[in-house]
Amino acid sequence: MSKIFESMRKFYKSRVVAVDSVVLSAVAIAVVLVLVLMSVRTAYAASQETFEEQLGSVQVGNVTGTSPLEVPFITWGGDMPTFYANGNSLTTKPGSIFHKLGLNIKLVNGDDFKQQVRDYMAGKTPFLRSTFDMLGQASEVIASDTRTKGFIIEHLTWSTGGDNAVGRKDIKTVADLKGKTVCLQENGPHVGFLDDMLKSAQLDWSDIKVVWAKDLTGPNGPAEMFKNNQNIDVCFVITPDALALTGKGEGNVKGAKVFLSTAQLSRSIADVYICRKDFYDSNKELVTKFVAGYLKAVEEVIDLKNKYETTGSPEYTKLLEFTKNTLGEGAPTQEEANALIGDCTFVGYGGQLAFFREKGNLHGFEALQKKVLDLAVNRGYAKTRCAFFPSTLDYDSPTFLSYLTKTGVQRKEKFRAEAVQEEIEALTTGALDERTLLTFSINFEPNQDSFSEEQYGAEYKRLVEQADKYANAVFAVRGHSDPTKTLSEIVKAGMKKGILQRAGTEGNYKYSLNGKPLDLSSTKEIIRLIEEGAFDGIAEYNPRETMQAALNLSRQRAEALRDSIINYAESHGLHLDKSQVQPTGVGIKEPFIAKPSNMDEAKQNMRVEFRLIKVSAEATQKSDFDF
Amino acid sequence: MKNIIRKLAVVICMLLILAPFFQPWSYAEDVYTDNVVIVLDCSGSMREPMYNTDIMKLNAAKSALKDVLKQVQETTHIGLLQFSAGNTSKEWLYPLGVKKDVEFMNAIDTPKPGGNTPLGKYMKIGADRLLQEREKQHGYGSYRLLVVTDGESTESPCPVDSYTQDIISRGIIIDAVGINMDRAHTLATKVHSYRSANNPGSLKKALAEVFAEVGSVKNDATGKEVFELIAPLPSEVAAAMLQALSASGNHPVGEKPKPKQEPQAQAGQDAQQVQSGATASQDHSAALLMWVIIGVVVIALLALLAKLTE
Repeated sequence: MSKIFESMRKFYKSRVVAVDSVVLSAVAIAVVLVLVLMSVRTAYAASQETFEEQLGSVQVGNVTGTSPLEVPFITWGGDMPTFYANGNSLTTKPGSIFHKLGLNIKLVNGDDFKQQVRDYMAGKTPFLRSTFDMLGQASEVIASDTRTKGFIIEHLTWSTGGDNAVGRKDIKTVADLKGKTVCLQENGPHVGFLDDMLKSAQLDWSDIKVVWAKDLTGPNGPAEMFKNNQNIDVCFVITPDALALTGKGEGNVKGAKVFLSTAQLSRSIADVYICRKDFYDSNKELVTKFVAGYLKAVEEVIDLKNKYETTGSPEYTKLLEFTKNTLGEGAPTQEEANALIGDCTFVGYGGQLAFFREKGNLHGFEALQKKVLDLAVNRGYAKTRCAFFPSTLDYDSPTFLSYLTKTGVQRKEKFRAEAVQEEIEALTTGALDERTLLTFSINFEPNQDSFSEEQYGAEYKRLVEQADKYANAVFAVRGHSDPTKTLSEIVKAGMKKGILQRAGTEGNYKYSLNGKPLDLSSTKEIIRLIEEGAFDGIAEYNPRETMQAALNLSRQRAEALRDSIINYAESHGLHLDKSQVQPTGVGIKEPFIAKPSNMDEAKQNMRVEFRLIKVSAEATQKSDFDF
Repeated sequence: MKNIIRKLAVVICMLLILAPFFQPWSYAEDVYTDNVVIVLDCSGSMREPMYNTDIMKLNAAKSALKDVLKQVQETTHIGLLQFSAGNTSKEWLYPLGVKKDVEFMNAIDTPKPGGNTPLGKYMKIGADRLLQEREKQHGYGSYRLLVVTDGESTESPCPVDSYTQDIISRGIIIDAVGINMDRAHTLATKVHSYRSANNPGSLKKALAEVFAEVGSVKNDATGKEVFELIAPLPSEVAAAMLQALSASGNHPVGEKPKPKQEPQAQAGQDAQQVQSGATASQDHSAALLMWVIIGVVVIALLALLAKLTE
């Protein structure tokens, strides 16, 4: 009996131990899973945390002191006129533009955006200096107190080359982002840039994997992470990092290239100043002077820069020197300070009018506000949409009109159409592919020569919107024809001239080329004969004439489409730079199906393709302002 | 009233002066122009009268061309190239360009019959000019060479055959009109169309038929039977045929093409080929791997602990 108890005790003891082990293992697995999930959240879903949560507790206070008035700046070429207006000094210098306007300003570095928001909320400064997209991320915090709600008081610049998407060698167009791992700074200026890119390719954030970087540049920036991690396909970087990654020197990455930058997607990153509502309401004159002073400085800096680049300018050199000393690593040399200003394009006085007043402006205040708030809410930076106020400054007042000299600048067409056409026509298919940023197409019926909005409105809208965003790239409207008729003319001419012979019965014909079966081995010979004109000279069957007619027809279709797009933009009150849409005929050269078997296949070849392409500087009309 | 007219004149003058500075939509010019170069034989034999008439062959040709060209659309670009005239050394009586009736009519009146028949040389000159224009028009448009002659080439060696072959292989349509020839011109079987004209009426008719073909509208409608016709072609061969057909260049006739230069892309920085030695990991996959390793270690430790408690 005692033996029975002993064996039972052993049995239970072993079960208890076994049960304990199972429980412990399960707990351990659970812990591991939790930790894994936490890591996923850290790497991929940081944006799910609202900006408010990221910022932590924020103190809200009244603005204290206007003399000196603390004004943030950031490391950006668009801030150099602010330096200049302040007399190339962090504190307003006598004789400077701001001084003459009665302002006393203390410039402070605002590169730490979160700290800027804290200072703004606390009342340390009434201004906040950032990109519109970043403001969107902080919109809920900014609107959390009636005093701090923001008036966008000034649009400074567009980034036109300063921000870059660098990809590994297999990334060629924006559509290639699908399924890729992308690294960019969390809460940085490239969030909106990436968002614009995704939208242009009709992709979504769920189509990519995001790895967030803590900083914009430096050891914790996207460039360094891209360099050190082969799994990152694309990184978003500022120009010095892009040059380092794609250059020949130390720190480069094999095969990496800038596949898109704000040089093309030039209406994505808008740099702005906002002002607290309480300060704006009670100091509108001061705010007006600040804006007017900045715009005056922009006019003078542009003139000095042009002079510097031709005959030299000691005044501009002083600005470069001050920028270099102030920004340190942001612009370690005078040349880099000059390059910094070259990375952006000023909008000037005309830009303020276009931004705040122009209806149908796809890159105006209303359109951008919608975009940034959509992004903020959709990406989880904000729970609710909290709008900004547009500037209500009186731009018709003497403070602007009697003070500034470039108030009459008009928006110009950006491209020289003839040069653009020359360039597009001279490109081989491969070279064109290299320059292509985005592509989409429409199909048409045989002999179709009109393209209604009812049928193609969605594509027109897409083109007009993307042409506006990619303001420094050109949409080639490329007409394609079906080659069936041309092929049949070759066959008929060949048979008439006795080069081709047909045998067999209907539905089962076979061709011979000069007595030998026409198969793949005949390719070289048939090319030679065609090139030598052996199939030509027959009046009733002229494949070259048919091909020529197809080329002309494809160009005419492309023109008809271009006209329809322009009519669409005009009838919807949308701004479209007409020089940006260039029709071109491809004819039968690039069929999807070289030998269609039926009309359905032939129709796949009958298409007009919209290709957004990079063009050379020679094809672009130079302008000091872009709005 | 005078004052108003004077002011109006000033305004008009100002507008005319300023006009070049205002541009409408800056589109590239429409480029699918129809182009015809007429090669007119003015050799000595063109002095002879046409059969059963006392009208000199050259005069009959001039008259027919005048009548026909009056009807040709103004958008068509015309060039008049003559050879062997006895009274002028000017080859291009009317350089290829927009048809202006008065200037063209004056130009065509100029030549008088003169020397021999260097037909091949002038076919090349005419074709080269058309190719030059095609290059300028980016390949769009239509290109025809109309040869009006009464005799065979007197060149030795005769380049007509090789030039003709080269010209038609470039997609230029050659039409020939033989005036008062006893038998068909040797061009007859080598060019796209040949018309014989033995009297002024048939000459005018032949020329009118040629110009009726210029710019004739083509469409891309395709009948069911053509799919059957091309069905036996291997797809790769069909693709190669299309490429070969569309590859003809605009280099001068009888010469080899020069290598094409691509315009340089300036937008964006180019990638450089340098090896990266980077291996550190901050990405998600690496983090996952790290946590899995930690998990395995934790499980192992817990299992060990369980064993110890036993």
